[in-house]
Amino acid sequence: MTPAVSQVLADLAGRVARNAAPNVPAADRAGELGLSALLLGLAAEMWDGAAEILVQENADLRALLAAGAKVWGEESRRRWLEALAQGRDENLRLSALQSANGELKVALIALHAELERRDDPAAKALESQVWRALVAASDRRRLSGSPV
Amino acid sequence: MEEAELVQRLGAYAAARMPQAQDVAVTEIARITGGASRQTYRFTLVWTEGGEARRRGLILRRDPADSLIDTERRVEFEAYRAFRGGEVPVPEMLWLEEGDTALGSPFFVAAEIAGFQAGTGPLWTAPYQENLPALGRRKWTILGQIARADPTALGLAAVLPATRAEDVWLRELDHWEGVLDADETEPLPVIRAAIRWLRANPPPPAQKVAVVHGDYRTGNFLYDTQGGIHGVLDWEMCHLGDPLEDLGWSFNPVWYFGQGKPGGLLPRDEAVAAWEAASGLTAAPDALKWWELFACVKGQAIWVSSARTWLDGANRDPILVYPAWALIDAQDRAALKVMGHL
Repeated sequence: MTPAVSQVLADLAGRVARNAAPNVPAADRAGELGLSALLLGLAAEMWDGAAEILVQENADLRALLAAGAKVWGEESRRRWLEALAQGRDENLRLSALQSANGELKVALIALHAELERRDDPAAKALESQVWRALVAASDRRRLSGSPV
Repeated sequence: MEEAELVQRLGAYAAARMPQAQDVAVTEIARITGGASRQTYRFTLVWTEGGEARRRGLILRRDPADSLIDTERRVEFEAYRAFRGGEVPVPEMLWLEEGDTALGSPFFVAAEIAGFQAGTGPLWTAPYQENLPALGRRKWTILGQIARADPTALGLAAVLPATRAEDVWLRELDHWEGVLDADETEPLPVIRAAIRWLRANPPPPAQKVAVVHGDYRTGNFLYDTQGGIHGVLDWEMCHLGDPLEDLGWSFNPVWYFGQGKPGGLLPRDEAVAAWEAASGLTAAPDALKWWELFACVKGQAIWVSSARTWLDGANRDPILVYPAWALIDAQDRAALKVMGHL
């Protein structure tokens, strides 16, 4: 959810107020309010589940990184993954959850690339788990009007 | 710029370009919503010529303060002009202004093609619904005609950057990965995996270096109720490249619009057949898959840039938020689908 819902809602509030003025051309007003309504609808759909989606996704990512630490032989990489896997979402503000999510995804991308380079069974099994987790994350984030 | 000032300055500009005309004025101006990379206005130009009152419906396309897609205005203008009068329907271009003096930013003015739809909203309702297969065949036939066109004969080889058939995939992938690197607002594991796959499995050299429209999809052409297409629009990402790039972009699952088929119009095999017949080229499945996945990377780069543009603050148009919220996950899902994981 980038830009953050709170930022966008604040901007839309100002936009709606400006369009309440009587001298706004009708076509401009219709366009701006139509788009604003569309975004308000998306915000309404995303807002209630946003924290839960991030908490669940972060938990899945930490589990993958913990598993990754066991198969990645390089010491500094292993310690990096272990440290991230031990984290917890104590601050439940969306901005904090999003920030942790970003950090975990950076590590996941590195782990995924490493798994692709290898052909041992442990790496390939974990690579399959990574793909399943990416599909599950996408399913959770899917909006009702999603074209895919 | 306030509307009254825009009307005055546009009228003055038109008057200077029409020395034979008197009493030139802009009337009935209205912004057309939906474009994130250009500001588009419909207006009527009225004037007197030889003692006779005249009027013409025109379109103004102007760069906003911070465009979603960074392209040269001249590229778009010349692409339209190159295809005008041929089998690919495009609006007539009138004036190109690349400086900031006249209207505060570069723009062009084109003739309006009135009376047709461009947005996807009405497509899946009567009376359009009945002729969707015909519209689909027309859509991919025109795309094949664009692919068949000779860039040199059209004069576009002199305007668009040259490329080699064996290099086009790398140039495009480097470009859009660079956009992601610069504009990404959060890490994208699916798209990064797609990029690694694309680099590890390069496509064969292009069958020819062709004109690539760059954004050929349902929603970027003017259509009627009978399945006819009267104007192909939005050439701002036009370039020379692999003609399969356009076909792959048209098959991007985000352009299925939830209808279960490319463009929401036509089964995939029929679309490919129409394109092959019109282009005289072949859509080899492996090569086409590469360009379909590339389309997912390019699409995600555009949606991410949309978020970045809004966050940077120079352009807070709400149209920039829509793709960031509605399409980033959908584009991930599209990539997962093309890679066979969904």
